[in-house]
Amino acid sequence: MSKAIPQSVTNLIEAFSRLPGVGPKTASRLTYYLLRAPDELSQTLAAALADLKSKTRYCSVCFNITEEDPCPICQDEARDASQVVVVEDPLDVLAVERTGAYTGRYHVLHGAISPVEGIGPEDLKIRELVERVQQGGVLEVIIATNPGMEGDATAMYVQRQLAPTGVRVTRLARGLPTGGDLEYVDSVTLLRALQGRHEM
Amino acid sequence: MYIEHLSLQNFRNYARLEVSLPTGPILLYGSNAQGKTSLLEAIYYLATSRSPYTTTDRQLINWNADPDLLAFAKIGAEVVSAFRPLSRVEVTLVQEPGALHSSLNGSRLQKEIRINGVPRRVMDLIGQINVVMFLPQDLVLVEGAPSERRRYMNITLCQTDATYCEALATFEKALTQRNALLRRIADGEARPDELGYWNEQLAQAGGVLIAGRQRLLRDLEVKARRVHRDLSGGDEDLELSYQPSFLPTANNSGQLSFQVLGLDLNRQLKASDIAAQYVETLEARQGEDIARGMTLIGPQRDELRLLVNGRDLGLYGSRGQARTAVMSLKLAELEWMRDAVGEWPILLLDEVIAELDAARRAYLLDRISGAEQVLLTTTEPDIFTPEFLQKATRWHIRQGQIIMPQDGSG
Ligand SMILES: [Zn+2]
Repeated sequence: MSKAIPQSVTNLIEAFSRLPGVGPKTASRLTYYLLRAPDELSQTLAAALADLKSKTRYCSVCFNITEEDPCPICQDEARDASQVVVVEDPLDVLAVERTGAYTGRYHVLHGAISPVEGIGPEDLKIRELVERVQQGGVLEVIIATNPGMEGDATAMYVQRQLAPTGVRVTRLARGLPTGGDLEYVDSVTLLRALQGRHEM
Repeated sequence: MYIEHLSLQNFRNYARLEVSLPTGPILLYGSNAQGKTSLLEAIYYLATSRSPYTTTDRQLINWNADPDLLAFAKIGAEVVSAFRPLSRVEVTLVQEPGALHSSLNGSRLQKEIRINGVPRRVMDLIGQINVVMFLPQDLVLVEGAPSERRRYMNITLCQTDATYCEALATFEKALTQRNALLRRIADGEARPDELGYWNEQLAQAGGVLIAGRQRLLRDLEVKARRVHRDLSGGDEDLELSYQPSFLPTANNSGQLSFQVLGLDLNRQLKASDIAAQYVETLEARQGEDIARGMTLIGPQRDELRLLVNGRDLGLYGSRGQARTAVMSLKLAELEWMRDAVGEWPILLLDEVIAELDAARRAYLLDRISGAEQVLLTTTEPDIFTPEFLQKATRWHIRQGQIIMPQDGSG
């Protein structure tokens, strides 16, 4: 970076460009935008960033990100504690919540098994899930890891770890996207839909 | 099958090109480095999502393009097939915005694919256009490393068999993960019992690959043998010997027999039978894999040998025999692909005609005379017969421009 640019500006540009999906150009644009914008914006942003890490923690039951422990979902008596949906990331919890159709609880693994990225079963909240099931009360574990090899590997590993507990383990069905024309569905999805077909 | 319209933007030496292509032979002539080959390369890229020449897609982009914009290249074509309505395929290569500290050379390319305007995966692109390409470099099929022949089988099969292509992608991904896991186990960071899932994935996909290769090679052998006999005046018998890194058997006895001639191409194995034996072999040889930090058996180590009169061409053949065998194999591939898709693929012949003697030139041109569309490049249009030139559309290529004759006299 050029010496014509003050260090504090360079620092922010470099910090921005470490974010996913942000290239050097976007990082510079954001930085110079903040320089010109009212002070209030930078202060709000700085405070939000500081709170993000200091005020949040993992829920001790489901390991979702939360400000209070246990998290609101785990505290909600109206939600069925006998059903647990297992997801890779907190964002997946939001996706399932958006369906509005699920009334059980969650367990967040925080990733998927991927030897290439150095992520093994010990790096995920799998042991915690098994302990949670062993404590009783859970009747069904619904594995909702992402479709794809890493998600499948994780699902299979979780299933194997849970087998001794005798809990019912199910996996989300993978089907065709709704509203799509069969003609335009990609071949993998179509193949999986065919494999996962059921009696009518 | 033929391409009705081709558009290029910032592709190699073409800043911008919009051209309608006629059917029949199209002879692209001109001096070297003017852009003849780039046209063939663009079509090949649309068909296979890779270049026949280079492994880095970056070189495909015309870097003289506006330096203020993100560098990109675009290839598009309208394809006419007997079995589908006109389809429009498009690939855009865009330079990925990298981290600030990464140099321009370090940034990667993003491949964006559209079919009839709808964003698609690479996997969906392959097979939209079928091509068979003839190159002087095809000699590596005989003289090159085993990886060249595996690559050849993969590209050929992927063009016609979506299941194979899918299995190949799965296999490569699973292999990378399994190899990483083997190294983690060797370093004490993971346990051998974590291998189970990856063994299963590798075997399922690997079974499809081996069965697909066996099927392809059986058909290719029959066809290539016939051509090779024609070309050698009946003197030479060409055989293809498929040697998987482990030999699955038809009866699933678990006994691995070793045959010098490779897998019996006439006893087609089922992918699921191969997979079961592959898993067993992976488990039996797990210790060795862990010690070496890599997967030592599987389709990634298959070998294909070409034999003439029982002798290995790669080891004992002459240059002449190798050239004949390659031409036999390519013509067999053409016939195979025509049978597989039910219509002629588009043919791309890059500078191969000049290398052949008059008899072979005539033989080759006769064998491809039924094709709907053939693009040939040459620096010497004079080597073609007047009859051929009469039929062909002749385009002079100069500095990334197509110069079309006004009156058809060339
Ligand atoms: Zn919770």
